[in-house]
Amino acid sequence: MALLRVENLRKSFGGLMAVKDLSFHVEPQEILGLIGPNGAGKSTVFNLIMGILKPDRGQIFFKGQEITHWPTYKIVNAGIARVFQIAQYFPRKTVYENVEISAIPNEIFTRAIDPTPKTLQSCERTGLCEHSSDENRCICRQELPGMLPQGGLRRLELARAIGTDPELLLLDEPFAGLSHAEVDEISHLIASLRDEGQTIILVDHNMRGVMRLVDRIVVLCFGEKIAEGTPEEVARNPQVQEAYLAGGGF
Amino acid sequence: MSLRTLKFVLLGLTVIVAGAVGPFLPSKWMTTLMYAQLFAVYAMGWDILSGMTGQISFGHIFFVAVSGYTAGLLNLYLKWPIWATVPTGVSMAVLAGLLFSVPALRLRGPYFSLVTLILPLAAARLVIILADWTGGELGKFGVTPLCQDSLLNTLEGLLSRLHIDSFRLYQYCNYYFFWVLMTAVGVGLVWLSTSRIGKILEAIRENEEAVEAAGINVAKYKIFAFAVSASVVGLGGALSVHTNEAVFFNSLLSLTSSIEMIVASVIGGMGTIVGALWGGFLVRGGEQLIREIAQWKLPIGAEGLALSFLERWATFIFFALLLVLLFFARQGLLPLLMGLFRQRRGEIRRG
Repeated sequence: MALLRVENLRKSFGGLMAVKDLSFHVEPQEILGLIGPNGAGKSTVFNLIMGILKPDRGQIFFKGQEITHWPTYKIVNAGIARVFQIAQYFPRKTVYENVEISAIPNEIFTRAIDPTPKTLQSCERTGLCEHSSDENRCICRQELPGMLPQGGLRRLELARAIGTDPELLLLDEPFAGLSHAEVDEISHLIASLRDEGQTIILVDHNMRGVMRLVDRIVVLCFGEKIAEGTPEEVARNPQVQEAYLAGGGF
Repeated sequence: MSLRTLKFVLLGLTVIVAGAVGPFLPSKWMTTLMYAQLFAVYAMGWDILSGMTGQISFGHIFFVAVSGYTAGLLNLYLKWPIWATVPTGVSMAVLAGLLFSVPALRLRGPYFSLVTLILPLAAARLVIILADWTGGELGKFGVTPLCQDSLLNTLEGLLSRLHIDSFRLYQYCNYYFFWVLMTAVGVGLVWLSTSRIGKILEAIRENEEAVEAAGINVAKYKIFAFAVSASVVGLGGALSVHTNEAVFFNSLLSLTSSIEMIVASVIGGMGTIVGALWGGFLVRGGEQLIREIAQWKLPIGAEGLALSFLERWATFIFFALLLVLLFFARQGLLPLLMGLFRQRRGEIRRG
């Protein structure tokens, strides 16, 4: 059974059809690339899945359950987490405290659960540790997020997302605005998550950058799916080549 | 030392000082500080909602009024005893808070603040329209006192060796009632604000989307904060009616008080609770202090002139000083102190 199934999703903003009757699915432990030129509706799809936007019509199923009209926090707790294109963090909290928020349960009246081990684990998995004299123990960084480089902020986003124990991780342009070295680091990080069995949808406008990472690609153009298949199949597709050339190339 | 421990230490020191100075206070100051303690409760109540989550309420006096008028009128007309009026008043404030917060929290920023500002304005009109019952702007006397004769007699018996006159004893009774209230509210709110719930409230102030993305129901936490906040200021309001022995329009529905709650919290450090408590004392004590200074004997003959001048200008000077404080110590006293403390520690570590 598909982990996520999107059926005939449609969303328009005024006269602009941002997503037009889009259907696709993601299998467990798969990495799906959602590719398309700028303005193709990729981020809108993420906002629809996360419940930030409500679709005009169509349905979204997660593990067989319809989640189309659920609020964001409920979708997150069901097992979908999203990494924002522009880092969303708490500027006056330390990196540790930023990551800690996802380790705190949603219930107000519940027995206290110590969020520390979970927080440290998330920091460790995303390389946000600061190693002390004891090299084997991870201590989350204590500085403010504003002190981190772009790559660090992306790690912070990933750490917060992973902290919610997602079965499905949505990555929105994880390489945007990063230096070459940082792109390599974040690719490694995503690859290591994949090797741990994490299901991922990866949005990018740059096909070349994600070819190595993804199992399957869905190509969007003006809100419509124009191709779907393995990276090789999609790269050979004349319609895709045309869309990309018209949109300024790969 | 963890932040929680530090805050409890600071809170402890403050309430110990407030408790210890009681017997040495001249009568006028005892009244001032009694009301300062009540006001500190309001400021802390404001702080747990607005200071922590950043949803700035300009009309928190409304919840004081709901609780105060409920308690006072039930006592005046239906002769309910204090043990029934106070919980009922608080419950009504919480109910009002819940009814208001559910639609209001959809609003963001200035819209939310504007709506909160309209609440006490509307309530004030209602109190005036129903002046036959509420006493309107003049208020209505005859509410059962918090410190009843039986309690005072018991106290007199206990403290007979100290030879305290009965008016003074009455003042002591009210002063320490509010001292207990302030201490209890302070302990409760410092605990809450440094718990995981407090962490989430603070995170909401900094970035709501990120909190929601972490799987947390932001609306639920805001409504919870609203209920706690309304219950705290409501408790203060209901008890104040019984110490004033009257429902006073000016103490239950004063817009100035509503704004001063914000000032108190900002001066002390928004979202710090202990800072709001300090701010409460500064705001309520500060004005009285300027009046006192105005009455000091001046060595020169121009005494009389200076006195009347300063007395008339006291409130203005007080507000001007508040402005200066807000301009130059915007982050507030407690964060300022903690900043200094951290710097010192850093220097020691480096040195």
